[in-house]
Amino acid sequence: MNKLMHILFLSCKKATELIEKKLLFKLSWKEKIQLTTHKMMCNACTHYEKQSELIEKGLAKSNEKNFTREDVAQLKKLINEKLDHNKG
Amino acid sequence: MSKDPTLQLSDLVEKYTETLYSRAFYKVSDAELAKDLVQETFLAAAEKIDSFKGNSSPKTWLFAILNHKITDHYRKKMNQAVNLDHQVFSKFFDEEGTWSREKRPLDWQEEEQHLLDNPTFQKVLEDCLHELPENWHTAVKLKYLLSKKGDEICQELNISRTNYWQIIHRAKLQLRDCIQTNWLKDS
Repeated sequence: MNKLMHILFLSCKKATELIEKKLLFKLSWKEKIQLTTHKMMCNACTHYEKQSELIEKGLAKSNEKNFTREDVAQLKKLINEKLDHNKG
Repeated sequence: MSKDPTLQLSDLVEKYTETLYSRAFYKVSDAELAKDLVQETFLAAAEKIDSFKGNSSPKTWLFAILNHKITDHYRKKMNQAVNLDHQVFSKFFDEEGTWSREKRPLDWQEEEQHLLDNPTFQKVLEDCLHELPENWHTAVKLKYLLSKKGDEICQELNISRTNYWQIIHRAKLQLRDCIQTNWLKDS
């Protein structure tokens, strides 16, 4: 039974792959239908999709930058030393 | 702008290090790496300064070199990530591709917005990100670091769409599983 289902409606491995593809690019018509049908029958993949989208939002949030003001003078000094060194 | 025969690299270091550093930091979100990239930018500039025609301003020229360095850095990371661990699927799925019993995604109980606003949840996410192999960590954050869409990233880094989304697929499986384990344990 499982095997037949997978042929018709994707395996969970393939379904999660399509979920990630969807978040990055676009799905074809056929892929959209396959994924929707799979999710109708699979709670785990339905959770996966919701959680994957949630993780994306969390990632966007974690990327709000905390700019660390470096000691730029120190960096300039280091660069000038390297440049001088390379000049030989 | 006409060619300035007295163009001195040390003047450029003085003038542009700070803005180059800000840009680099913004794109890589890592202070040490950002500093390295700025250094490499000036070293590359030193080698090419004789061929700098002054068709653009020195600032534009330096930023072009820096952008090239950043792209190069990410291209290398993604190439390494493609070759990482193809065994990962057997941890999550059986031979038919069905979720293994202990790795099945479960309900996380809470509303999405509650989770996102919950510092404990955000902490779990951060910790799990750091448990990923470094290249996967970079891969899942790339969209946000570069503020670009999937297609643009593939074009810029010269990787195929298939490779890119398969890296993400593996990384996300691992990341989601780690979050589930630690989040449901805590709550």
